[in-house]
Amino acid sequence: MSNVREFNTVPEGNPQVESPLAWSYRQHPVPGAGSQRAGVTLREKALLGHLVLRGGAIVLDEAVRQVLDMNLPAKPNALVFDDSGERSIQWLSPDEWLLIVPGGEECTLEHALREALGDAHFSIVNASGGQTVLSLSGENAREVLMKSISYDVHPSAFPVGKGVTTVFAKASVVLRRPSEAEWELVVRRSFADYCYRWLLDASSEYGVDLQQ
Amino acid sequence: MTQSNRIDAGGRVDRSQVLEFTFNGQRYQGFKGDTLASALLANGVNIVNRSFKYSRARGIVAAGAEEPNAVVQLGARADTQVPNVRATQQGLYNGLVARSTNGWPNVQRDVMSWVGRLGGGFMPPGFYYKTFMAPASMWMTYEKYIRMGAGLGRAPTESDPDIYDHMHHHCDVMVIGAGPAGLAAALAAARAGARVILCDEQEEMGGSLLDSRETLDGVAATRWVEQTLKELAGLANVTLLPRTTANGYHDHNFVTLHERRTEHLADTARAAGFSGQSRARLHRVRAGQVVLASGTHERPLVYANNDLPGNMLAGAVSNYIRRYAVVPGNRLVLSTSNDHAYRAALDWQEAGRKVVAIVDARANPDGDLVRQARDSGIRVITNSAVIEARGHQRVTGARVSAVDLERFVVTGKVDELECDTIATSGGYSPVVHLSSHTGTRPQWDEALLGFVPGKVKGMISAGGVAGQFDLGETLADGARAGRQAAQERGFSGAQDIALPATRTRRESPACALYQVPHEKSALRAPKQFVDLQNDVTAAGIEVATREGFESIEHVKRYTALGFGTDQGKLGNINGMAIAARCLDRSIPEVGTTVFRPNYTPVTFGAIVGRHCGELFDPKRYTALHQWHVENGAEFEDVGQWKRPWYFPRTVNGKKETLHEAVNRECLAVREGVGILDASTLGKIDIQGPDAREFLGRVYTNKWAQLAPGRVRYGLMCKDDGMLMDDGTTSCLGDNHFLMTTTTGGAAGVLEWLELWHQTEWPELQVYFNSVTDHWATMTVTGPDARKLLSELTDMDLDRESFKFMDWRDATVAEVPARIFRISFTGELAFEINVQANYALHVWKKLFEHGEKYNLTPYGTETMHVLRAEKGLIIVGQDTDGSVTPEDLGMQWAIGYDKPFPWIGKRALSRPDTLRGDRKQFVGLKPKDPNVVLEEGAQIVFDGKQSIPMDMKGHVTSSYYSASLKHGFALAVVMGGRDRMGQTVYIPMTDGTVYEAEIVSPVFIDPKGERQHV
Repeated sequence: MSNVREFNTVPEGNPQVESPLAWSYRQHPVPGAGSQRAGVTLREKALLGHLVLRGGAIVLDEAVRQVLDMNLPAKPNALVFDDSGERSIQWLSPDEWLLIVPGGEECTLEHALREALGDAHFSIVNASGGQTVLSLSGENAREVLMKSISYDVHPSAFPVGKGVTTVFAKASVVLRRPSEAEWELVVRRSFADYCYRWLLDASSEYGVDLQQ
Repeated sequence: MTQSNRIDAGGRVDRSQVLEFTFNGQRYQGFKGDTLASALLANGVNIVNRSFKYSRARGIVAAGAEEPNAVVQLGARADTQVPNVRATQQGLYNGLVARSTNGWPNVQRDVMSWVGRLGGGFMPPGFYYKTFMAPASMWMTYEKYIRMGAGLGRAPTESDPDIYDHMHHHCDVMVIGAGPAGLAAALAAARAGARVILCDEQEEMGGSLLDSRETLDGVAATRWVEQTLKELAGLANVTLLPRTTANGYHDHNFVTLHERRTEHLADTARAAGFSGQSRARLHRVRAGQVVLASGTHERPLVYANNDLPGNMLAGAVSNYIRRYAVVPGNRLVLSTSNDHAYRAALDWQEAGRKVVAIVDARANPDGDLVRQARDSGIRVITNSAVIEARGHQRVTGARVSAVDLERFVVTGKVDELECDTIATSGGYSPVVHLSSHTGTRPQWDEALLGFVPGKVKGMISAGGVAGQFDLGETLADGARAGRQAAQERGFSGAQDIALPATRTRRESPACALYQVPHEKSALRAPKQFVDLQNDVTAAGIEVATREGFESIEHVKRYTALGFGTDQGKLGNINGMAIAARCLDRSIPEVGTTVFRPNYTPVTFGAIVGRHCGELFDPKRYTALHQWHVENGAEFEDVGQWKRPWYFPRTVNGKKETLHEAVNRECLAVREGVGILDASTLGKIDIQGPDAREFLGRVYTNKWAQLAPGRVRYGLMCKDDGMLMDDGTTSCLGDNHFLMTTTTGGAAGVLEWLELWHQTEWPELQVYFNSVTDHWATMTVTGPDARKLLSELTDMDLDRESFKFMDWRDATVAEVPARIFRISFTGELAFEINVQANYALHVWKKLFEHGEKYNLTPYGTETMHVLRAEKGLIIVGQDTDGSVTPEDLGMQWAIGYDKPFPWIGKRALSRPDTLRGDRKQFVGLKPKDPNVVLEEGAQIVFDGKQSIPMDMKGHVTSSYYSASLKHGFALAVVMGGRDRMGQTVYIPMTDGTVYEAEIVSPVFIDPKGERQHV
């Protein structure tokens, strides 16, 4: 084993848990939500399991196949999902991938991956408390992104199955496209409120439907 | 008031929609489709402004962005004011209110005009510089009044009710200008499949085709415009941006566009019926290829009194007649150097008004348009020019004479023609401004008598701007450019597009005419204006050249030619031609000027976008923020974080002050138990077989022996040996560490580690990941801390099994947690880390159980006092990038004998870092216990020394200590460690001199017993 101290952050009981946007929903509800035409739908995919995987692509790929029955995307900026669509792996940098899985799976998954990786040089870091996923859809979603992100989000430049780390207004986010109709923003916990409020503001001219 | 200059038929205005507007307090009517300028001309408004320097009456000259005079202050209310709007670019809407930017109390009777009339002759170029030179200290005062007199628009005094935003674009082909060339280019590129953006600054796309006498395929040119726009609008790969000015052309084909979204509709977006929509938008475009189809600006002729209202550009006259059905006068004299301008006379005559004469500077003009004019019975006077306009507040006559352009003299008898409008044309200047923004100099084309764009990588110029003035050639040139641009972007299937048929005309060549000679010399003749907006005259340029300014760049700065919002649209070429004549050089020899962004003014709102107010900068919150707000915390900004500063209580109906709250919070920690949200501290997870080795190289102290379960404080230096960050690092496993950094240093430290790993020691097997946001950190500290925590965890907290500087896995209030026995207060302390989503739960549980211990939340201020009482530093407060670990007395944390040298080691053996008189870290105890020294105050050894005193150090931290019951401070003092017990002096600006004793920086519990209990 890699002489790393694993730490299972998933409680056995049911203590109160709050997504990074809990405060924002209370503080800044959407004005007149649901009453108007919504060109943009905003939804938080809260409390998921986030793991950052670092290491050589070949060993990591083997471990990921073994444990998750998924291929590690080797192509830069690629994003892949498993058959259920609930687990994803995204290329972040030449030695860095982001795994997002249903909440609660992250620690057992980390353990299984560590077992599979054995003595290889790698790191797995649990980031589940540190980030959240915002989903953006609707006919004006792309315009909202164009108001927020300088990266090219045209379908010809940003097809389904692509993800990038980029600048969102004055924050840094991971932007990804899981399907034709949907965009996902992976935002850091402490910047979540800023991103959320920016999105509400940028969406307001199109009408926004907030699904909690 | 009636629209006396409006004709009954024609134009593109909607006569069924009457719009009311107010200009300079007077109410008028116009039609839907008007610009403010066309509506003013329709109503016969002659004077729209007063000039900048001489305060002369000025009227509308042009019909587009080049308008120098009709620059207005727009807005009905104090909060909707927009300065420096060109009336020619402002769409008319119902209720529009505008004023002249210059002229007080009004443009008709301007009290400043005495300056122009009396002083005019005495205001040569450089007048302000020369007159207000001495004393230099007074310039600021002079300038204030000069600016007031000049009147350059007013900034709004109240907050703007509208919003502005940005939008980012990427495209294959960015087409700038939707005239014939731009439309053809967009069509060709779009049909090839390229992503195309087409922008045009006017209310309607079509450019010169909207007022053209020409037909396309035998029908009005506007039909082709409509068809083309319809096709483009239907293509998914095309974005049409009307009312959008390309204002800046930056490196690597980055183009900034300013779109006016609602300001042609109403005073505010809300009044226009919008909700959440911006008034203006700045588009930031990354273009693969740019097709520059910005067309031309007509050059006015420079003759005496050419600034009187009623002097206009020939093309503008046509534009107002054909597009807006407005004839801006009754009797026209046209003065021209080319055929094209004849259109103005033909349009004028067809509108039913009198053309007095066409005055042509050429000897034998015989092009088709010239013949057409003659056949229509218009008098054509050849070899001549208008040499002077007559009139007071409006043109009443034109003085016309034969001229010899070679010798620059008037040759014949001067004739005076009665008229109210003088239209002129000295040719057409390609609008090269945008291409110049890239740094490329425009190239002089002698055949065109104008500058064309220089080469810009990734840019193709087409149509008028490229020197194509014939309509058929312009269309073909545009189509060619669009196709080529698409091909450059890989759309190899780009085809030729079918273009509409145009009529070819025979044209006689234009002659070079800029300044028109006068009977008197330029210095004695009535003023001949070159730059109307900046009041630069031909005489001014002549004087400048005589005074030794030979480069056009110097002439420009001396005279103000082409300054400011105008950017030399009408005047620059004429100015260069005049300078060239005076210096007896050619125009390209005199040089070209640089045009800078922005092409026309961009409102600050659009530049700022939504990065204002609440969204100006990210505010970072911890997972416990809501609790802090609900419990009355006052907040402090630490980087982008909002951290609780202190938690004031209300005692007997009175809210505690900062001082009262901090005293209470400090005593609670020293005597009971307090709690701090420390989640903002940077946290970096370090994994890998070489993690320990890496730590040894970036920290000054030793890491080889740190066992799992233990924590160590570390100092990090830059390579200059100066302290850059500090914090504790815990050994989680042999190959696994958790590093903490200062709140503000978190991102910088992670970058620092990556930098050294990636550039210097790539062979080390180690990975770094930020986990700052993943963990929430709660510090429970004080003598009762163990009692409280033991109620919530089954972990053994005994002092023997869980020692100071240990950490353990545990469960706190059902939540998995890591507990660290580290202390920043000097008291017994436990730092509890939990996954952030559970933080609020754990925090609330601590308070449920903490009530009986009077658990007291404290903020950053109390944290500062408590750590200062213990002499613990804060990097960035007690250090400033010039302090070494040695200076801080932290020799115990420096491992000089480590086998591998660490960052900063070598620098610590430099003579300068070994000096005995370096500023060293000490404590200060003011002689008067009630004194709290000012942070940053200078320290001297001789309090009576006269100024300048020898400064020997400064105060870095200073507080009142409720525990010690006196003020105390931390400081750096030269050779301070050898001066224990000595008295130093802290002189203040008001003359007070405080005395203090140098003491140990550890004020409480010097042996450190309390944190070990």
